[in-house]
Amino acid sequence: MSLSNGTLNVRVARIEAVTPEIKRFTLVATDGAHLPPFSGGSNVVVLIPHENGTYRNAYSLMSSPYDSSAYQIAVRRVEEGRGGSLRMHEAVNEGDVLEILRPVNLFPLSKHARLHLFIAGGVGITPVCSQLAELRLRGTPFEVHLAVRGAEHARLGEELVREYGDAVRLYRNDLDQRLDISVVVAARPLGSHLYVCGPESMIQDAIDSAHAQGWTDSHIHYERFLEQGSVGEAFSVTLARSGATIEVSPDQSLLEAAEAAGHSIPYLCRGGACGECETRVLELDGEIVHTDDWLSDEDKAANTKIMPCVSRAKCSRLVIDC
Amino acid sequence: MLITGIKSRPVYDQLRPLPGGIRHLVAGQGSGGRAMLRLLDEMPEQGMQTTLLYSQESFSGLDFLAELQQRQVAELRVYPSNQELVADLERILGNARMGTRLYLSGSESFIGTAMQVATHYDMNSDEVLREHAGSFVRRIWCVHCDSYTENVTQRVFQCPGCNAMLVVRDHYSRRLAAFQAVKADAEVPGELPEAEELDT
Repeated sequence: MSLSNGTLNVRVARIEAVTPEIKRFTLVATDGAHLPPFSGGSNVVVLIPHENGTYRNAYSLMSSPYDSSAYQIAVRRVEEGRGGSLRMHEAVNEGDVLEILRPVNLFPLSKHARLHLFIAGGVGITPVCSQLAELRLRGTPFEVHLAVRGAEHARLGEELVREYGDAVRLYRNDLDQRLDISVVVAARPLGSHLYVCGPESMIQDAIDSAHAQGWTDSHIHYERFLEQGSVGEAFSVTLARSGATIEVSPDQSLLEAAEAAGHSIPYLCRGGACGECETRVLELDGEIVHTDDWLSDEDKAANTKIMPCVSRAKCSRLVIDC
Repeated sequence: MLITGIKSRPVYDQLRPLPGGIRHLVAGQGSGGRAMLRLLDEMPEQGMQTTLLYSQESFSGLDFLAELQQRQVAELRVYPSNQELVADLERILGNARMGTRLYLSGSESFIGTAMQVATHYDMNSDEVLREHAGSFVRRIWCVHCDSYTENVTQRVFQCPGCNAMLVVRDHYSRRLAAFQAVKADAEVPGELPEAEELDT
């Protein structure tokens, strides 16, 4: 496999339209070797070059963790986003070489669960695909409850139904088949685990429904699929160690702006979940717009730490410790 | 070989009502009944969602059954031994639903064996609390014959399973719910380490 600067070069072996909005990319190593192994629920960051730099978008791996000859990712076209997914849809062709990072897993299966319950909406099914492949060998029972808009959006779900049968249930919005999460989580055996990947409202509904049935947080897992990175108002930030002041544009995250200016900040998920990029705030004249899932409410209120991968600032001065 | 300040020994909690639960199992033995009563005082609204499990086996001879019988709860189940309580707990957890909270109070041996069951059913630290009661007499696992001995208070003792003279190591295994003991005179037969009282 090709490894340079910690990234992998992969060739796009195949691109398929699986719904009107989602394309599935099959990626293989440029030298035909095996790709690094991963576990169910992992994602890879794809480096997507554009005029002024590089988008780094994280996509869930949906192929089997037991097949290291290829990775598969599903990319949903987001019209109102920054343009990373549009580039994947329009500018990337079969045979092209992409640069990706090694897989990381921020949405792993619980190894001790007695029952796995998956709730997904639309493209949120992608991390579940690789998790199910892992579960099939493990033999632990599971159920998948997948909500889709209509027939033409159901293809990934139908593939799973063919693969796993009754364990996968599709809810089609156009047929008024409503997914009632409070029913899914009711009266489940001890040791059940809930995994949710979908829109924000679905995640919140799942958390609230599980709490109402007495579930504790250690059994509730979720992954947001908001487009990675952050958008908002422009602001400037000073990196204390080099003294450099960097302008963060509206379609850039602080992390991306720092990288574009040649600075490196440690990171893993680029989605505000893993904590790797946590940075101390040394000076602040204004407020930080915290949008991560990592810092505690107390930390956010104290404004002494920031997650550069997603959070922004509305301020006249911000100095961070990096 | 013997170390002080046993890092492997669990740090126990104080029983308090766990938020969000829709069914509460409160299990204790002997002097652990005192913590059960205190917990029940703190959750007066949950009586009808609460099942008590109490074993009258006690190293110290303390028994709180009469007080527990006065409490308004869904059910009180009484057992002559800790082992019978833990066996019943296993059956109850096997049929239990998400939303169950488990509270354990009693000796280290009782808590450890009950936790083996709770862990098997994947109950986590936000669903289980453990309060230690009574002395820290040790449950011992003999590495030679795989037998368990309850209520050991001496550093050097004879294993009832294989008759070897054992020395108790200061290492607690949560998986086994016991301290390990190994042959005390393996190097020089008959030469035993100094007898001492364990920090019970």
